[in-house]
Amino acid sequence: MLSIESLKAKIEEKEILKGLNLNINPGEVHAIMGPNGSGKSTLSNILSGKKGYEVNGKVTFEGENLLELETEERAHKGIFLAFQYPLEIPGVNTNTFLKTSINAIKKARGEKELDAIEFLKLIKQKSAELKFDEKILSRQLNVGFSGGEKKKNEILQMSILNPKLSILDETDSGLDIDALRIVSEGVNSLRNKENSFLIITHYQRLLDYIKPDFVHVLKNGQIIKSGDYELAKELEKVGYEDFN
Amino acid sequence: MENNIKLNFESYLNEKNFTSSQKEIKEINFDNFIKNGFPNRRIEDWKFSDLKKIITNNFENIDFSKKEAQLNIDENLIGDLEHNKITFINGAISNIDFSYENEDKIIVEQNLNLENELSKNTLLNLNTAFVSNYTKILVKKGYQFKKPLVLFNYLSHDLSNSGLNTRLDINLEDEASLNIINISNENLNNNFLNFRQKINIGKNSILKNYSLDINETSNIKYSFKDINLEKNSHLEYFILSKGSKFAKHDINCSLNDEYGSVVINGIIDLNDKKHHEIKTIINHNEENCKSYQLIKSVLNDGAKGVYQGKIYVNSKAQKTDGYQLSRALLLSNEVEFNAKPELEIYADDVKCSHGSTSGNIDENSIFYLMSRGLSYAQSKKLLTNGFLNEVIEKITNEDVKLLVKKLTGITE
Repeated sequence: MLSIESLKAKIEEKEILKGLNLNINPGEVHAIMGPNGSGKSTLSNILSGKKGYEVNGKVTFEGENLLELETEERAHKGIFLAFQYPLEIPGVNTNTFLKTSINAIKKARGEKELDAIEFLKLIKQKSAELKFDEKILSRQLNVGFSGGEKKKNEILQMSILNPKLSILDETDSGLDIDALRIVSEGVNSLRNKENSFLIITHYQRLLDYIKPDFVHVLKNGQIIKSGDYELAKELEKVGYEDFN
Repeated sequence: MENNIKLNFESYLNEKNFTSSQKEIKEINFDNFIKNGFPNRRIEDWKFSDLKKIITNNFENIDFSKKEAQLNIDENLIGDLEHNKITFINGAISNIDFSYENEDKIIVEQNLNLENELSKNTLLNLNTAFVSNYTKILVKKGYQFKKPLVLFNYLSHDLSNSGLNTRLDINLEDEASLNIINISNENLNNNFLNFRQKINIGKNSILKNYSLDINETSNIKYSFKDINLEKNSHLEYFILSKGSKFAKHDINCSLNDEYGSVVINGIIDLNDKKHHEIKTIINHNEENCKSYQLIKSVLNDGAKGVYQGKIYVNSKAQKTDGYQLSRALLLSNEVEFNAKPELEIYADDVKCSHGSTSGNIDENSIFYLMSRGLSYAQSKKLLTNGFLNEVIEKITNEDVKLLVKKLTGITE
């Protein structure tokens, strides 16, 4: 589904990714762990099309050259990024935003757009699944949301858009145990043979809830080791510093 | 141009049967206008909006002679909102309708005599010289309007290169309340509009004034309001400044007794080289009064926005609470925004603050929205609408809020 070959990325002359290789097949859950500054967020930004990077290498998504696509085209194709720091958008109602988003994607895919009633039904169902207080959806997007509410809102968006590849950028940071469980349940409910996940995290904690098929260690812009869930446990014991 | 205006004025004075004292007031004001002309940028109040230059660039000549017209009125301007109305056609009052109200409680006086005054503001001189049907509305003590009063400003399509001077004073006695919506129809021709209002808000009274300049026109517009607030009275003033080629809203509020409050919320939303200014002066003359101002601007395609806001606090006006904030979103490189916040404070126990920011649209927010499938244009529109919607949400009359949302297409 996603194939990354010797991906290099620079921002303002500083090289952050130095030849990264990764292959994700349909239905797989991959975790990338790494210390601060190892390039984790850069990887998720580049995959979702953020501007400002000088990028080299080859990235294909379902056979298509991903790097040539605009950010919104990647969303239309089924790539979703759950932000580490979801942005506050003053004056924009969360429901309005969600409806605009899902219908933009449906339109691009040539599917029928949702009318108000279909949309509300979907929202009701998904928020109930995620134990997400619907009232919050009539508030301005992420404005005044707690850290946990912002992250849950990301997962709600993910669950509504039902993407093929979901990238979770440190979704666990700043979450208490209850929120972590809810977020993880949300992710697990989307797991199936077609949907893949790339989970970026510092800690093993999240991976206790979302069992990955593969764990990769990112250090200095490269994946230095890949393994299964046991690798995450080992990392937790040894620490990034001494891990080679 | 000057000679033509003089000829207009002479024939205007001869046509009407003014008393000699009224004639004299008009002549003195006219002479003062001729002596000083349209204000230019050397005058401090006009430093960001050189009206003289704007007039010269847009008019070869302005015709101040009166243009009578019959019009088919298009009531659809405000949809199905139930309302009272005063209709101006080409600057002259053509219809006054208070059918939703108890008309015993409202006094309308037309063709009033002008007071003997000589302002330093040459546009007020011009207004006094040419205003024909000077009208005053008085709302009697204790009367609360049931429906808003809409001031419709219609121009006939044949009107161009004309100068129109109108004046409508409003006096709310004590314990009264009134909501006003001021709106213009579409007219693509060049005209110069000079609208003046003197407003008095009596004890415990509430005035809400909504000024909506929405339709695209190439008109040059100036409006001047002098608003006096008595004890425990409240003014809510909302401006949507968008359609005219040039517009300046000059608002002067005086809080003349305790516990008065003023809220001014404004939107300047411009494209296509338009140039709009909101200028306010809030005089805190007595203790325990509050003023709050929020002005948001969105500028595109070479547009220019200006906000000059002054809060004056008299030495007697202890416990004043004054606040003003201006935020501007600059959407293209060649736009210009000028803000001049001023605090002039002579009392020592006051809380006053001002702030002004201007900047580009936040690219991180754009990225966030685009990562959810929205196009760049959609994301930008959502963000600017959200930015402006914060001001619209402050409208306290729910019907008017809905109307403004409908007219602008801005929703949450």
